[in-house]
Amino acid sequence: MSVTIVRPIDPVNVSRKTVAPAASLDDESRAWLRDLRAEGPDRDAAIARLHELLLRAARFEVGRRRRALSSLRGGDFDDLALQAADDAVVSVLARLDDFRGLSRFTTWAYKFALLEAAVKVRKRAWQGRELPLEPDAWQVFPDAGSGPESSTELGELLTTLKSAIEEVLTPHQRRVLLALALNGVPIDVLADRLGTTRGALYKTLHDARRKLRAHLDERGMPLESWLEETT
Amino acid sequence: MTERQLPRDALDGLLGPAGPEVGCDECFDQIDRYVELELAGEDTEAVLPGLGAHLAGCPACREEHASLRALVSGER
Repeated sequence: MSVTIVRPIDPVNVSRKTVAPAASLDDESRAWLRDLRAEGPDRDAAIARLHELLLRAARFEVGRRRRALSSLRGGDFDDLALQAADDAVVSVLARLDDFRGLSRFTTWAYKFALLEAAVKVRKRAWQGRELPLEPDAWQVFPDAGSGPESSTELGELLTTLKSAIEEVLTPHQRRVLLALALNGVPIDVLADRLGTTRGALYKTLHDARRKLRAHLDERGMPLESWLEETT
Repeated sequence: MTERQLPRDALDGLLGPAGPEVGCDECFDQIDRYVELELAGEDTEAVLPGLGAHLAGCPACREEHASLRALVSGER
């Protein structure tokens, strides 16, 4: 596997809101747009159908994540799906003009319901839980480097990586990286606790990762060969 | 999880994908198109460069992509 350390472009740092030309719509998508842009009873009926569609998607998502919510009862799952569908309908209607016809309308609309449901489940699963402290994350390193299959190369790589996390990253980058990458805190939950957005946090994570890769590269760390070995 | 897997998983999370990638907002904007291209067997990287790398690096977007793909493919 080839690993490129230097990134010629950095789209995470660039808003690439391309306005693609509207594709020719399929009949079903055209009907959705027509009905949702209508007035009176036709629009009401279309919104009701949209809600039904998005509720099905939200239930699908909540169903996939039930294990993360073992403390909830059956009715709570449906409440969560209903809230997600309600919020998704609002989002879809607000962004109707963004639909360019590059997918079917239903596929485009589903993503709003799946996002709302996924975020709600993640937040509910972490409700009332304290975020893990940084030292929890460090436990990975000594264990990882001292196993029977660990090579000297791997030990050196992990030692260098740990030093880089401590010395090269800003405190904010370190906190975000360890929470997301090692302690398993969902990005929406961390964004909520830190009063920021998912996009902004991912950029922080991306910048931290880039610094670490550059640091390892500068020190001639055998990252590429190690990753190939374990693929 | 074995000790052999642990550092690999940790390294993937810490270092992320090697190539250029889009951010979460653009991923969300394009994920419906990406899924339909995937299901049609098209070259997603050629049409939407950097989105696959983002899915490799972002667990939340990866989960939502898997759900959308499963939901849409179940209807076909």
